[in-house]
Amino acid sequence: MEWLRIFGARLRGLFRKRQLDGELDAELHAHLELLTEENIRRGMSPADARYAARREFGGVEQMKELHRDQRSIPFFGALLQDLRFASRMLAKKPGFTFVAVLTLALGIGATTAVFSVVDRALFRSLPYPNEDRLVSFGLLAPIERDEFILGSGYVDFRKEPGPFEAVTSTAPGTSDCDITEPNAIRLNCALVEQTFLPTLGVQPMVGRNFTPDEDRPNAPRVALLTYSLWKTRFAGDPGILGKTISLDGNATRIVGVLPSIFEMPTLAAADILIPLALDEDQQRRSEPGRVLRTFARLRPGINVPMAVAGLQPFFERAVLDAPPEFRKEIHLSIQALRDRQVRDARLASWLLLGSVFAVFLIACTNVANLLLARVTGRQRELAVRAALGASRGRLVRQALTESLLLSLLGGVLGCAMAQVLLRLFMSIAPQGIVRLHEARLDLRVIVFTLAVALISAVFSGLVPALYRPAPELLIGKDVRATTRNVLRQALVSAQIAISLMLLAGAGLLLRSLLNLQNVRTGMRTENVLTEAISLGGYRYPTPEQQIAFFSELQGRLKRLPGVTSLALSDSLPPSGQMRSTIFAAIEVPGRPLLKEGTGGMVGWRAVTPDYFSALSIPIIRGRGFRQEDRLPTENTIILNETLARELYADAEPIGQQLRLFRMQGPWRTVVGVAADVKNSGLTVNADPEFYLPWKNDPVESLSTAHIIVRTGTDPKAMAAWMRAEIVALDQTLPFTIETMSQRVGKLAQRPRFTAVLLSLFAGIGVLLAGIGIYGVVGFLVAQQTREIGIRISLGATSRNVLTMVLLNMVRWTVAGAAFGLLGSWLSSRFLESLLFEVRAHDPFLLASALFVLLAVAFFAAWIPARRAMRVDPMIALRYE
Amino acid sequence: MAPPRGEVLQGTLDLIVLQTLHTMGPLHGYGIAQRVQQVSEDLLKLNQGTLYPALLRLEQRGWIATKWGASENNRKAKFYSLTRAGRKQLLAETRSWERMTALMTRLLSGTEGA
Repeated sequence: MEWLRIFGARLRGLFRKRQLDGELDAELHAHLELLTEENIRRGMSPADARYAARREFGGVEQMKELHRDQRSIPFFGALLQDLRFASRMLAKKPGFTFVAVLTLALGIGATTAVFSVVDRALFRSLPYPNEDRLVSFGLLAPIERDEFILGSGYVDFRKEPGPFEAVTSTAPGTSDCDITEPNAIRLNCALVEQTFLPTLGVQPMVGRNFTPDEDRPNAPRVALLTYSLWKTRFAGDPGILGKTISLDGNATRIVGVLPSIFEMPTLAAADILIPLALDEDQQRRSEPGRVLRTFARLRPGINVPMAVAGLQPFFERAVLDAPPEFRKEIHLSIQALRDRQVRDARLASWLLLGSVFAVFLIACTNVANLLLARVTGRQRELAVRAALGASRGRLVRQALTESLLLSLLGGVLGCAMAQVLLRLFMSIAPQGIVRLHEARLDLRVIVFTLAVALISAVFSGLVPALYRPAPELLIGKDVRATTRNVLRQALVSAQIAISLMLLAGAGLLLRSLLNLQNVRTGMRTENVLTEAISLGGYRYPTPEQQIAFFSELQGRLKRLPGVTSLALSDSLPPSGQMRSTIFAAIEVPGRPLLKEGTGGMVGWRAVTPDYFSALSIPIIRGRGFRQEDRLPTENTIILNETLARELYADAEPIGQQLRLFRMQGPWRTVVGVAADVKNSGLTVNADPEFYLPWKNDPVESLSTAHIIVRTGTDPKAMAAWMRAEIVALDQTLPFTIETMSQRVGKLAQRPRFTAVLLSLFAGIGVLLAGIGIYGVVGFLVAQQTREIGIRISLGATSRNVLTMVLLNMVRWTVAGAAFGLLGSWLSSRFLESLLFEVRAHDPFLLASALFVLLAVAFFAAWIPARRAMRVDPMIALRYE
Repeated sequence: MAPPRGEVLQGTLDLIVLQTLHTMGPLHGYGIAQRVQQVSEDLLKLNQGTLYPALLRLEQRGWIATKWGASENNRKAKFYSLTRAGRKQLLAETRSWERMTALMTRLLSGTEGA
């Protein structure tokens, strides 16, 4: 503890320096006085006595120095001294300080904001213990982009899970369910096995997990609440355990509440977990059984490739279980849980992080350049310091303190800027990147910011700090430090290279975004409103009730003023999620059935007759649906262009007969061919598709519908009326109203996010590079004023001077641009998968980026160069 | 061949100061210096200035306390006095010093005997 005491004493000494100095002075003074008096008493003359006293005492100043060092902490003492000095220097040049801090704040702020976004997707651990061992595994087939397993294979596999420590399964997605008493709300229910929580390593916050007995068919119903549902619906009731709620009209006992950080491994929104209750025998009998999402925890020491090898026998059996058409097209997949969640956002995340780091480097380079310029202005002062005995290390430390102070100021301001940028990011695209909405500046991010600020301090301060003053400066000689000028220009070249790469990347993404937004979706989206409604199984248990509801709603909406056409459909382009079948299951007379393979997927939807007019999808041949097609006795079908071509090639499709769904259905007559529509996203080509009439037939009734309204009036007013009509019919019903343009716009959200951000960074980068060039050229001009004056007085024209100044800059700009071009050429390959209908090496875009950058560089150099032109030789020669 | 005026051994100065304060009671810096020189009969060459860093060191360790007062000639002076911790330290250091000297004596006489 003694060192602590000494440290405390020294720390106190650090901050009471002036008082302690005074006391020491007084004490020493008294001592010397007493010594002198004693010497006088011994018979010395006062002058001798004082001299003798000094000699006996020893070096007063050395002693004071020793005393001071011991009294405080020399390191901190020097630090305080440096900080005081640095803040004085910064305060003396507010213009410089302002520019430097702002530049750093821009760099640090942007880096912090992007880090806070991508951290969630790339680095931060998922809320499960040992999450690196959690995987999603199963089969991939053309119908499914996520891993799945069929129940028939799974029920046996889960008993011997091979490379896995634990496996579990859930029903795909979540399903709608209603709490019906006392007032009804619609919830998302997730059906999970009782092994679900143990596999993830999650413990309920209160209560318990499902027991194996509860996870059987016909067991008493139980449920686990999520934290937010418990808080909102049950007001955090501590006595919730054992209570019974009415879920879809069934009494369900609550056995536990999940912790607040719980999330589904699929990131699906779920309010309540209920047992999957897989019936083993039934699954085995009814090959292939249910589609399940499967997750597992790897055994310690087993990695994904080993698990893939270990799963091969299971996979081979699963292939045999699959319908024959699928066998060639399914394969096994195991991926880390994080990869499944982040998917293709990984590349975009790294791209953003990399590009923001480039901006940060440019900002640091600028500040390094500014500091270099200042060191040049202070070289005489530094030479004097060195001559007075300041060690090299001491001078470096002082210079670094200054850049550290700047960086910390920049960091603080950067945090504020990051907050603003983060808001901006979220407003650009709420779905821009996975977990974007969770991003915030928490402690982890602040620590990152601090680290970034430290890096920037070292990076921007080290070059100027290592400057060694030339001793000739002491005799007033002006030493032209050429090495530093080379260094400064090299820094500018680096800035230009990095900016060019950013610009080229941004150009590619913007071009791709433009292409994406101009994609012809095959329909007209203006003035179209869509409304998604899903009827709960509790309030609308029978098909008749569902049909009644939809006809009533249609009738009410049709009467609204301004509705030009109104249609119902079970799914909507272009966001996918339509029902689909395989090409091989369509039977056409005279066409041989496919021997093997699925032939690809064919999408289909059920629509009411006005569907085509509501979305302005042209009917190319034949006719659209009529009301009589909805009669149960009619069997008509409309194909899209692609499917018509695939089925009939050049023959006339109208009037042809075909059978769907593996020949179980009736023979249908093709009555029309509709133009292609983008169905699964904007980037994919139109898939084969067909339309069936939406029938008022209980056998084919649907509980989910999209209502499509084309209106001649203001869509906003129409949306309000539509809302009112639904509420009037059933106020408990959840629904979403969107304009069709919004729906389509959402599909470009993520590309838009990446493109806008990268453009923002490229803009900042170019701006900073411009400022950097401006600063360097201005500095060189100031340094060369005398030389320019001499040249002018010797007859150089202002044109010569301009050329001289610019030529120097042109050399470095060209060097930087060359490196930038090379860099963009090499790096744009990585962007390829983010691009749509634009080549990664698009020469036009690269040339435009180059042109913009050169224009900025020229402009930035031209302003100070003009100043050089106007140098007055008389003043310049008298300079100094 | 011992030098007539010994240099102060590092560490012994602390002991000397503590012992001085122990026998003389509270003293100012000048008084301590005088007393040390008097006792050592000028055998010990002491740059009086070096006393002050030593005093600071002892104060930081909490072995001595300081207080401003008036000197004999009625000047403001800083008086140093032994604290309880200082007394304990003095005892401990005296003991270890005695052990050390005893050892040295034995060692040196042994060498003579050989």
